Amino acid sequence: MSEMWVNMGPQHPMTHGLWNLRVKIDGEVIVDADPEMGFLHRGIEKICEYRRYNEVVTLMDRTCYVAGLSWEHVYLMAVEQALGVSVPARAEYIRVMSHELQRLASHIMWYAAFVQDIGLMTPFLYGMRDRDLILDLLQSYTGARMTYEYMRVGGVRNDVPVGFTDRCRKVMDWLEEKIHDYEALCDRSDIFLKRTVGLGILKAKECLDLGVTGPMLRAAGVPRDLRRDHPYSAYPELDFVIPTHDGADVYGRYRVRMEEMRQSIAIVRQTLEWLDHHPGRVLAEKVPRFVGTPTPPPGRESYILRRGYPKGRGFAAIEEPHGEALAYVINEGAEHPYRVKFRSPVMVNIAAAKDYLVGYRVSDIPPIMGSVDICVGESDR
Amino acid sequence: MTVTLYDVAYWLSSHLVALATGTSASNLPGGPWTTAAVALAWLVTGIIVFAASLVNTLILIWWERKLLGRFMDRRGAMHVGFAGLLQNLADGLKLFRKQVFSPREADQFGYYLAPTAYMVTSIILLGFLPVSTGFVGGSVPLSLLLALAIFSFAPLFIFVGSWSSNNKYSLIGGMRTAAQLVAYEIPLLLAVVSVVLLTGSFDLTTIVMDQARYGWFWLPLILGLVVFSVAMLAEMERIPFDLPEAEAELVEGWSTEYGGMLFAMTMLGDYVRGLVGSYLIVLLFLGGWTLPGPLAPLAAFPLGGIVWFQIKTYLVFGVFIWVRAALPRVRTDQLLQVGWKRMLPLSLANIVIAAALVVWGWPHLTWPAL
Repeated sequence: MSEMWVNMGPQHPMTHGLWNLRVKIDGEVIVDADPEMGFLHRGIEKICEYRRYNEVVTLMDRTCYVAGLSWEHVYLMAVEQALGVSVPARAEYIRVMSHELQRLASHIMWYAAFVQDIGLMTPFLYGMRDRDLILDLLQSYTGARMTYEYMRVGGVRNDVPVGFTDRCRKVMDWLEEKIHDYEALCDRSDIFLKRTVGLGILKAKECLDLGVTGPMLRAAGVPRDLRRDHPYSAYPELDFVIPTHDGADVYGRYRVRMEEMRQSIAIVRQTLEWLDHHPGRVLAEKVPRFVGTPTPPPGRESYILRRGYPKGRGFAAIEEPHGEALAYVINEGAEHPYRVKFRSPVMVNIAAAKDYLVGYRVSDIPPIMGSVDICVGESDR
Repeated sequence: MTVTLYDVAYWLSSHLVALATGTSASNLPGGPWTTAAVALAWLVTGIIVFAASLVNTLILIWWERKLLGRFMDRRGAMHVGFAGLLQNLADGLKLFRKQVFSPREADQFGYYLAPTAYMVTSIILLGFLPVSTGFVGGSVPLSLLLALAIFSFAPLFIFVGSWSSNNKYSLIGGMRTAAQLVAYEIPLLLAVVSVVLLTGSFDLTTIVMDQARYGWFWLPLILGLVVFSVAMLAEMERIPFDLPEAEAELVEGWSTEYGGMLFAMTMLGDYVRGLVGSYLIVLLFLGGWTLPGPLAPLAAFPLGGIVWFQIKTYLVFGVFIWVRAALPRVRTDQLLQVGWKRMLPLSLANIVIAAALVVWGWPHLTWPAL
């Protein structure tokens, strides 16, 4: 059969979102790949310029449906730097805990979707069952399961409820047990190993050249994790290790994520322990108040008001479940940010698709693209 | 005396004719009336087989949904009918109400022919597979051969359907089906050859009766059972061999372009083939409708054989469901490798075992004087 281009997407079960992977196949072998992104572009960065700082948090939940709290976190870190706000320690710990719970939920979601792509449906429902427990936890203190709107400039909206830490510990124990189940379903299955080992190889150097981050980079043997390399929030005081793998393949990414889930559980336990013994404020006492006109006239220039916030710029980088998320906020003194820029790890990881797809087979596309952990809302923003 | 399916049908038809003529069923007037009763009896036989097959298939789908649900820590269908028993009927009805359409660029004849022929050939199979002594739509001396021959029609129609859909995914799925089914047809038939060697007959009833007399064949032909089951999994296109409709990469494989009732027909065909596959495994290796040794009288009740046969079939299909819940999908090249490099030698070894058994005087093993 001659070579032909096949559109996998924008409506395709493999894509997990709205994007298009164009692959050129020769029989079953991939000879070229061309990811097309941008179907889900909502102009979030632009919308941010028309929202007050705290209102942008709502948009951050919408960037990624599995990692809303992580995006709230990175945005607010940049904003707090831009506005010169300090965050109470308890709020930092709650943020880190939320972030790690979110990472767990995201990784479980990834596991569920990834293994289902290979054709195994059982873990999908196991994953959904266990992710629900985390969502219940998040709901108990943020009030929502997906769009939390929980963090605020200068801390978080409210403290965790009474008895939360014990409940959370129970869930962590349960999850630790269940991660063994996940691994048993996969690691002991010859078919799973055949479908994952040695596929989608992206070596460390290529990862670094292309800017690929997160579990994909760590699966290539590079122990880079912003939580440890550029510690933020409460991470410097927490004890955890950065799992890596030497395979640089689909299986390596799976192993890294499984270990990361264990590390996340360890981090959550440490934060719970800290939260138990350190009551206090969760929102900074002195958040600078905007004193200009409350409702700005239309037209962007006039937003820069006479007596607004002190001017400043903020930059933040966090280790999001998918990789390194960066945020840059320019504050020109208005009640709205002048410019907000995000860097999504997923965008970069997908853009490198050609480098880890060419040479493999059509049947390998779902496991390989699944191992990238795609969240299109986040990459297109 | 055993009651056969035809007896039941004739009982019904003769009573109907008796009602029409105003006589008693045991004393029909001769000539055309008796002929009419016989003809009606055959028609009734066909309808019974058809209806029983469809109901059985629906229950099979229900069984899959429930069991798969339990494996996945959920309950499966719950709301329509008792424990969701009528859910499939509701789903079928929903698909039935949908508009029948075809893609504009599709080849109309092939597009409509494929699911129809796929379903019809699948249902025909149930016509001559015995479910108990005498309970068979049409008794054919070479029923096993005929069943396997019709069973292997499917790739042809799938390929026609996939090609005429004019969709790249369908086409890839169709080609995979062709490659897969051809690769697994051979070990499947070779596994059957071993059974035929032991019984010397292609008649499924004889094969079952032989097993009742000499012991079920799964023990001496354990290799054959394994090969046959694995090959049957591939023939049914179920996980881990459901590459032709690998939904992750090929959307819905060869049936991507089919919707509404046409889709229902492809699904029905799939499950009828699943039912037939399980039937064949029970008939060839697990003693059909008989029960071993001291339990044998249990199967001697009127209709007892049918009950045990169905229970065995559902257990066999349950194993397939279990496999589906536990295993991911293999890749095309790996599938073909397993087929040609593992299944084929195993099935040949199985034939050697069967031949050796026959040489040594199966079923009363004696060492031949050398």
